[in-house]
Amino acid sequence: MRKMALRAIVAFLAVLAAYPAAALEGERALFPAKQEEKARLIIHAATDLEAMRPLILDFQEAAPDIAIEFTDYVTNDLFREAEEACREGRADGDLLLSSSVDQLVKLANDGCASPHSSFVTQSVPDWANWREEVYGFTFEPAVIVYDGARVPPEDVPRSHEDLSDLLRRKPEVYRGRIGTYDINASGIGYLLAFHDARQAPTVYGRLLESFSRAEAVTRCCNNEVLGEIASGKIRIAYNILGSYAYAAYRHNPDLRIVVPRDYALILSRGALIPAKTARPDLAARFLDYLLSGRGQRVAREKAFFFSEKSPLPPGVDGPPALMESGIGRPIRIGPALLAAQDRAQRERFIASWTSLFVKPVR
Amino acid sequence: MYRRDSSLFSRLVLRVALVLAAGAAILMSGAWFYARAAADDAYDRLLLGAAIQMMEGLAVEEGAFAVNLPSSAFELLGLAGRDRIFYRVTDPSGRTLTGYEDLAPDVDLTKVGPGPVFLNLRYRGEPLRVVVAGRAISDPAMSGWAHVVVAQTTQARQALASELTTRALVMVVIMSGLALIGTALAVRYSLRPVAVLGETLASRDPQDLTPLAVTVPRELSPFVASINHFVRRLDERVKLLQRFIADSAHQIRTPLTALSAQVSLINEDNLSDSDRRHLERVRNRAGELARFTNQLLNHAMVIHRFDSAQLLPLDLTRVARKAFRAAVPITIDPDIVVSFEAPDEDVTVLGDELSLREAIINVIDNSLRHGTVSRLEVRVARSEGFGFVEVEDDGPGIPPNDWSHVTQRFVTSKSGEGSAGLGFAIASEVAAALGGALTFREKTEDHGFTVLLKLPLHREDKL
Repeated sequence: MRKMALRAIVAFLAVLAAYPAAALEGERALFPAKQEEKARLIIHAATDLEAMRPLILDFQEAAPDIAIEFTDYVTNDLFREAEEACREGRADGDLLLSSSVDQLVKLANDGCASPHSSFVTQSVPDWANWREEVYGFTFEPAVIVYDGARVPPEDVPRSHEDLSDLLRRKPEVYRGRIGTYDINASGIGYLLAFHDARQAPTVYGRLLESFSRAEAVTRCCNNEVLGEIASGKIRIAYNILGSYAYAAYRHNPDLRIVVPRDYALILSRGALIPAKTARPDLAARFLDYLLSGRGQRVAREKAFFFSEKSPLPPGVDGPPALMESGIGRPIRIGPALLAAQDRAQRERFIASWTSLFVKPVR
Repeated sequence: MYRRDSSLFSRLVLRVALVLAAGAAILMSGAWFYARAAADDAYDRLLLGAAIQMMEGLAVEEGAFAVNLPSSAFELLGLAGRDRIFYRVTDPSGRTLTGYEDLAPDVDLTKVGPGPVFLNLRYRGEPLRVVVAGRAISDPAMSGWAHVVVAQTTQARQALASELTTRALVMVVIMSGLALIGTALAVRYSLRPVAVLGETLASRDPQDLTPLAVTVPRELSPFVASINHFVRRLDERVKLLQRFIADSAHQIRTPLTALSAQVSLINEDNLSDSDRRHLERVRNRAGELARFTNQLLNHAMVIHRFDSAQLLPLDLTRVARKAFRAAVPITIDPDIVVSFEAPDEDVTVLGDELSLREAIINVIDNSLRHGTVSRLEVRVARSEGFGFVEVEDDGPGIPPNDWSHVTQRFVTSKSGEGSAGLGFAIASEVAAALGGALTFREKTEDHGFTVLLKLPLHREDKL
């Protein structure tokens, strides 16, 4: 917990320090080979190291002679760096993992990805594969997280509608106590907001309005928002990735997770092998592992907890059949995401979003 | 002269195959062009649809251009599966509002107007299909044509084109294959009369000079007519020749009889030994000449009879016995044992008595003259639907190598020994005319050399 809080503070300071000047690197970790090192795989990710650790360690069981260098970025930084590397034609990491799949799709569209297909990739659902270049390897609903100790049961929002109603009913109680992403800083925040606006424009409009009135707090990343709940500063967090929320819930049972019952965006974290890399073979091997039955099992049990084919993990409040009922709306990995990545579109969207939020007071 | 492999079949099939191959090639090129046009058409519509949707999102708000690209435009383009998408939106002044600034098709945007203009372009090393479309903007702040350039890689359309082409290819290959097989069968079927004609010609008896009686297609009729014409002329020639020989033999016989009579009238008492020897030789030669003339006449008679005589059922034993009596002279050397063996049952064959008797006489005569040392056996027998006249002697026999040609005229196994060897020829011709054959059996320890006259039994008898 302390580590998480510390990291949140460090990251937050970095945000304050107008980070775009230099690529912000979160955490760098080296997983030395279990045996003599024969090769090294460099992963650049916008994915929590703690989530990836069990997967990397399990992969090394099967490949004990491979060392893995893992660097965690914020989504936008990862994208910027990859785009630069692609434009300049230099190698930058062997495998990119990002929750902001629209950015990966844009990279693939610009010819910055190399395709990979194997027996394993055949089983990837259609919506989680574009051009065999971008693969979705997780299943993560966007959820509402609340502080069970401070939010009374009658206030628990179970849908988007509930949330905006609650903020309208009790503006004083929740003023400054609602947290969500800063879509300026977080690629995943933008992606989710963009899809919210597409899925349910009216509902989302009202929700934004409520947020604005309730002086919602915005943070760059999942874990920071979750950290704010843990520290008691905010009570309800909106559009948090289920995997991070569940990981936090396992450490802090006061956190409660709700999968909205009207609709729930489902994100599949993307993986992409850049066009220029030192070891495309290793990257392909790790990608195959992530998509394989074994990798998916480890992901479900230890890393991302949710999965398309199994029920919601215990302790999560949500609709019983997420996909069959049509409530789960997967964000399709495909060219439609290019619309989200359009410069003019993005500027307009962020501008209108920002105009609704009163600058958070610190 | 003639190349062996240039059969009518292979010539026809080869030419048809060439025509089919050429046709298939033309069809395939056509299919390829058509498939490309169809694929281009289909995906150009997607491209244009996306451009139209994008143009819908263009608006002037508060004096500034606002671009709102609908996701549905990208979803529409996403129907092309794996294709990458590039786009660019420009305002009336040509400034890029959003999208890929370096996407610059080789057209003058000011002249495009509403478009749409389709073109191909290479961009970032990949072939692109591009559409440029314009939308008129009339706003006090700015007016003119705003343009949307939408481009897409060509994987999907190439895949569609090659799929269409492949399907056409499969069809064309199947059709060509069927056509070729059909042609081969048809040609083989049509050429069958040629083979039948060939077989008929090959299986004809060399003696048979009757016209060909086969039904052939109209195209072959001139050929058959020519053969028949040729055969008829040959037959006439042969008949003429035979009549000439018969006439000659007949003409020769009368002076020859007179000559023999004159020779027998010569008083030998006053002759010297040497003259007597000469006279003896003259007598012998005259005898030989008489016999030969007889044979020629017989031969002519046999041929003539088969042209005209009616065949009747005959008792082979009776005919053979008569022939035996006629052939074995009373003055035969008493040291030679001759015998005639008749079977218990009837042996009836269909034939002409005179010819048959002549044939048997000739065989026995030949055996007496050239074979017999001390024993001559004539037997009549029947077995397996055939009647046999066997003439066995204890002479050296004819070696098997010579069997095939002793039945030809004027050939004997012992050349230069007087006989002109018409005997076997006559017997063989008679046997062949009656559907039988003249065969030989080699000398063994138990048997002497045997000549067999084999004749099919009369049908009623067989039943």
